[in-house]
Amino acid sequence: MPIMRTLGPGSLSSFMKAVLDVVWVFLLVTLAVLAAGLLYGVLAAFNPDMPFAQQVRYDGLDRLQAWAVVLARMGTAVLFVGGVLAIVSSLRRIFATLKAGDPFHPDNVTRLRVVAVGLAWLEMVRYAVWTLGALLPPQAAPDRPNLSLTAWFSILVVVVLAEVFREGARLRREAELTI
Amino acid sequence: MPVRLHLDRLLVARRMSLEELSDRTGISAANLAILKAGDARALRFSTLDALCRELACQPADLMTWEP
Repeated sequence: MPIMRTLGPGSLSSFMKAVLDVVWVFLLVTLAVLAAGLLYGVLAAFNPDMPFAQQVRYDGLDRLQAWAVVLARMGTAVLFVGGVLAIVSSLRRIFATLKAGDPFHPDNVTRLRVVAVGLAWLEMVRYAVWTLGALLPPQAAPDRPNLSLTAWFSILVVVVLAEVFREGARLRREAELTI
Repeated sequence: MPVRLHLDRLLVARRMSLEELSDRTGISAANLAILKAGDARALRFSTLDALCRELACQPADLMTWEP
Protein backbone atom coordinates (compact mmCIF):
# COMPACT_ATOMS: atom_id res chain seq x y z
CA MET A 1 0.00 0.00 0.00
CA PRO A 2 1.61 3.29 -1.06
CA ILE A 3 2.26 5.76 1.75
CA MET A 4 1.57 9.43 1.03
CA ARG A 5 4.74 11.49 0.93
CA THR A 6 5.13 14.10 3.66
CA LEU A 7 7.61 16.41 1.90
CA GLY A 8 7.82 17.89 -1.58
CA PRO A 9 5.28 18.90 -4.22
CA GLY A 10 2.01 16.96 -4.15
CA SER A 11 2.71 15.71 -0.62
CA LEU A 12 0.88 16.04 2.69
CA SER A 13 2.85 19.26 3.32
CA SER A 14 1.60 20.64 0.02
CA PHE A 15 -2.00 19.90 1.03
CA MET A 16 -1.51 21.48 4.46
CA LYS A 17 0.09 24.54 2.88
CA ALA A 18 -3.04 24.99 0.75
CA VAL A 19 -5.26 24.65 3.83
CA LEU A 20 -3.13 27.16 5.73
CA ASP A 21 -3.37 29.59 2.82
CA VAL A 22 -7.17 29.47 3.00
CA VAL A 23 -7.15 29.85 6.80
CA TRP A 24 -4.69 32.73 6.53
CA VAL A 25 -6.94 34.65 4.11
CA PHE A 26 -9.96 33.98 6.32
CA LEU A 27 -8.10 35.21 9.42
CA LEU A 28 -6.83 38.28 7.60
CA VAL A 29 -10.37 39.24 6.55
CA THR A 30 -11.68 38.49 10.06
CA LEU A 31 -8.98 40.63 11.64
CA ALA A 32 -9.72 43.50 9.26
CA VAL A 33 -13.44 43.32 10.02
CA LEU A 34 -12.81 43.13 13.77
CA ALA A 35 -10.35 46.01 13.71
CA ALA A 36 -12.80 48.13 11.72
CA GLY A 37 -15.58 47.17 14.13
CA LEU A 38 -13.40 48.04 17.11
CA LEU A 39 -12.54 51.41 15.61
CA TYR A 40 -16.20 52.03 14.89
CA GLY A 41 -17.12 50.96 18.41
CA VAL A 42 -14.64 53.37 19.95
CA LEU A 43 -16.01 56.21 17.82
CA ALA A 44 -19.64 55.23 18.46
CA ALA A 45 -19.01 55.12 22.20
CA PHE A 46 -18.40 58.83 22.10
CA ASN A 47 -21.12 59.62 19.56
CA PRO A 48 -24.47 57.81 20.04
CA ASP A 49 -25.85 59.49 16.93
CA MET A 50 -23.67 57.40 14.60
CA PRO A 51 -25.53 54.78 12.50
CA PHE A 52 -26.02 51.39 14.19
CA ALA A 53 -24.79 52.82 17.49
CA GLN A 54 -28.11 52.00 19.15
CA GLN A 55 -28.10 48.37 18.04
CA VAL A 56 -24.95 47.39 19.83
CA ARG A 57 -26.14 48.32 23.29
CA TYR A 58 -27.01 45.69 25.85
CA ASP A 59 -30.44 45.75 27.49
CA GLY A 60 -30.41 46.32 31.19
CA LEU A 61 -26.99 47.94 31.22
CA ASP A 62 -26.24 51.59 30.96
CA ARG A 63 -24.52 52.90 27.86
CA LEU A 64 -21.02 53.10 29.26
CA GLN A 65 -21.09 49.54 30.61
CA ALA A 66 -22.59 48.21 27.39
CA TRP A 67 -19.91 49.80 25.25
CA ALA A 68 -17.22 48.68 27.66
CA VAL A 69 -18.40 45.10 27.20
CA VAL A 70 -18.60 45.37 23.42
CA LEU A 71 -15.23 47.08 23.09
CA ALA A 72 -13.56 44.68 25.52
CA ARG A 73 -14.84 41.69 23.59
CA MET A 74 -13.85 43.15 20.23
CA GLY A 75 -10.45 44.16 21.56
CA THR A 76 -9.91 40.67 22.91
CA ALA A 77 -10.98 39.19 19.60
CA VAL A 78 -8.51 41.44 17.74
CA LEU A 79 -5.66 40.39 20.05
CA PHE A 80 -6.63 36.72 19.78
CA VAL A 81 -7.09 36.66 16.01
CA GLY A 82 -3.88 38.66 15.62
CA GLY A 83 -2.00 36.01 17.57
CA VAL A 84 -3.54 33.18 15.56
CA LEU A 85 -2.74 35.06 12.33
CA ALA A 86 0.93 35.39 13.35
CA ILE A 87 1.07 31.65 14.06
CA VAL A 88 -0.64 30.71 10.80
CA SER A 89 1.61 33.10 8.83
CA SER A 90 4.70 31.42 10.23
CA LEU A 91 3.25 27.96 9.64
CA ARG A 92 2.49 28.90 6.02
CA ARG A 93 6.11 29.88 5.45
CA ILE A 94 7.36 26.74 7.19
CA PHE A 95 5.10 24.53 5.09
CA ALA A 96 6.24 26.36 1.94
CA THR A 97 9.76 25.14 2.69
CA LEU A 98 8.44 21.63 3.42
CA LYS A 99 6.59 21.70 0.12
CA ALA A 100 9.85 22.66 -1.57
CA GLY A 101 11.50 19.68 0.13
CA ASP A 102 13.78 21.88 2.24
CA PRO A 103 12.71 21.39 5.88
CA PHE A 104 15.95 22.66 7.43
CA HIS A 105 15.78 26.11 5.92
CA PRO A 106 17.61 28.47 8.30
CA ASP A 107 14.58 30.82 8.52
CA ASN A 108 12.41 28.01 9.93
CA VAL A 109 14.13 28.44 13.31
CA THR A 110 12.82 32.00 13.64
CA ARG A 111 9.42 30.96 12.26
CA LEU A 112 9.05 28.21 14.86
CA ARG A 113 10.00 30.67 17.58
CA VAL A 114 7.29 33.01 16.31
CA VAL A 115 4.83 30.10 16.61
CA ALA A 116 5.95 29.52 20.21
CA VAL A 117 5.66 33.22 21.05
CA GLY A 118 2.25 33.30 19.33
CA LEU A 119 1.00 30.35 21.40
CA ALA A 120 2.29 32.02 24.58
CA TRP A 121 0.61 35.25 23.47
CA LEU A 122 -2.77 33.49 23.12
CA GLU A 123 -2.42 32.07 26.62
CA MET A 124 -1.49 35.48 28.01
CA VAL A 125 -4.51 37.04 26.28
CA ARG A 126 -6.70 34.43 27.97
CA TYR A 127 -5.21 35.28 31.38
CA ALA A 128 -5.60 39.01 30.70
CA VAL A 129 -9.25 38.47 29.80
CA TRP A 130 -9.85 36.58 33.03
CA THR A 131 -8.10 39.28 35.03
CA LEU A 132 -10.04 42.08 33.38
CA GLY A 133 -13.23 40.02 33.61
CA ALA A 134 -13.52 41.01 37.24
CA LEU A 135 -13.99 44.61 36.11
CA LEU A 136 -16.80 43.78 33.65
CA PRO A 137 -20.49 43.40 34.50
CA PRO A 138 -21.42 39.91 35.73
CA GLN A 139 -23.34 39.13 32.53
CA ALA A 140 -20.26 39.79 30.42
CA ALA A 141 -17.63 38.18 32.63
CA PRO A 142 -15.80 35.28 30.98
CA ASP A 143 -15.77 31.75 32.37
CA ARG A 144 -13.71 30.74 35.35
CA PRO A 145 -9.97 30.82 34.60
CA ASN A 146 -8.03 27.59 34.25
CA LEU A 147 -4.31 27.09 33.77
CA SER A 148 -3.77 24.98 30.67
CA LEU A 149 -0.69 22.83 31.21
CA THR A 150 -1.18 21.31 27.76
CA ALA A 151 -0.82 24.73 26.13
CA TRP A 152 2.38 25.56 28.02
CA PHE A 153 3.77 22.09 27.32
CA SER A 154 3.02 22.63 23.60
CA ILE A 155 4.86 25.95 23.72
CA LEU A 156 7.92 24.29 25.25
CA VAL A 157 7.78 21.53 22.62
CA VAL A 158 7.76 24.13 19.83
CA VAL A 159 10.72 25.95 21.46
CA VAL A 160 12.67 22.68 21.58
CA LEU A 161 11.67 21.90 17.97
CA ALA A 162 13.04 25.31 16.94
CA GLU A 163 16.40 24.31 18.40
CA VAL A 164 16.20 20.95 16.61
CA PHE A 165 15.66 22.83 13.35
CA ARG A 166 18.61 25.11 14.19
CA GLU A 167 20.82 22.02 14.51
CA GLY A 168 19.36 20.65 11.27
CA ALA A 169 20.11 23.92 9.48
CA ARG A 170 23.67 23.85 10.82
CA LEU A 171 24.16 20.26 9.61
CA ARG A 172 22.73 21.19 6.23
CA ARG A 173 25.20 24.05 5.96
CA GLU A 174 28.03 21.68 6.92
CA ALA A 175 26.88 19.20 4.28
CA GLU A 176 26.76 21.94 1.66
CA LEU A 177 30.40 22.81 2.34
CA THR A 178 31.57 19.22 2.47
CA ILE A 179 33.23 18.52 -0.85
CA MET B 1 40.68 27.42 9.48
CA PRO B 2 44.30 26.35 10.06
CA VAL B 3 44.17 23.61 7.39
CA ARG B 4 44.98 25.11 4.00
CA LEU B 5 44.58 23.51 0.61
CA HIS B 6 47.12 24.29 -2.09
CA LEU B 7 44.99 23.40 -5.04
CA ASP B 8 45.94 26.52 -7.00
CA ARG B 9 49.65 25.80 -6.57
CA LEU B 10 49.28 22.21 -7.72
CA LEU B 11 47.16 23.24 -10.70
CA VAL B 12 49.89 25.65 -11.81
CA ALA B 13 52.57 22.99 -11.31
CA ARG B 14 50.60 20.46 -13.38
CA ARG B 15 49.62 23.11 -15.97
CA MET B 16 46.00 22.16 -15.49
CA SER B 17 42.91 24.34 -15.44
CA LEU B 18 40.12 24.07 -12.90
CA GLU B 19 37.72 22.96 -15.65
CA GLU B 20 40.08 20.21 -16.78
CA LEU B 21 40.44 18.96 -13.21
CA SER B 22 36.66 19.07 -12.88
CA ASP B 23 36.29 16.94 -16.02
CA ARG B 24 38.89 14.43 -14.86
CA THR B 25 37.68 14.04 -11.28
CA GLY B 26 33.94 14.50 -11.76
CA ILE B 27 33.94 17.14 -9.02
CA SER B 28 31.94 20.16 -10.10
CA ALA B 29 33.83 23.35 -10.94
CA ALA B 30 31.79 25.17 -8.29
CA ASN B 31 32.93 22.73 -5.59
CA LEU B 32 36.53 22.94 -6.79
CA ALA B 33 36.26 26.73 -6.58
CA ILE B 34 35.08 26.37 -2.95
CA LEU B 35 38.08 24.14 -2.24
CA LYS B 36 40.44 26.55 -3.98
CA ALA B 37 39.08 29.52 -2.04
CA GLY B 38 39.48 27.64 1.24
CA ASP B 39 35.78 27.89 2.09
CA ALA B 40 35.18 24.13 2.40
CA ARG B 41 34.31 22.83 5.87
CA ALA B 42 35.15 19.19 5.23
CA LEU B 43 36.73 16.97 2.59
CA ARG B 44 35.51 13.48 1.72
CA PHE B 45 38.06 10.67 1.28
CA SER B 46 36.57 10.04 -2.15
CA THR B 47 37.26 13.66 -3.13
CA LEU B 48 40.78 13.48 -1.74
CA ASP B 49 41.34 10.23 -3.64
CA ALA B 50 40.20 11.77 -6.93
CA LEU B 51 42.33 14.89 -6.46
CA CYS B 52 45.46 12.97 -5.53
CA ARG B 53 44.96 10.58 -8.43
CA GLU B 54 44.52 13.27 -11.07
CA LEU B 55 47.12 15.65 -9.66
CA ALA B 56 49.56 12.80 -9.04
CA CYS B 57 50.29 13.91 -5.52
CA GLN B 58 50.01 12.85 -1.89
CA PRO B 59 47.47 14.35 0.52
CA ALA B 60 50.34 16.11 2.27
CA ASP B 61 51.18 17.90 -0.99
CA LEU B 62 47.61 19.13 -1.18
CA MET B 63 47.19 20.52 2.31
CA THR B 64 49.14 21.90 5.22
CA TRP B 65 48.21 22.71 8.78
CA GLU B 66 49.12 26.17 10.02
CA PRO B 67 48.44 26.87 13.71
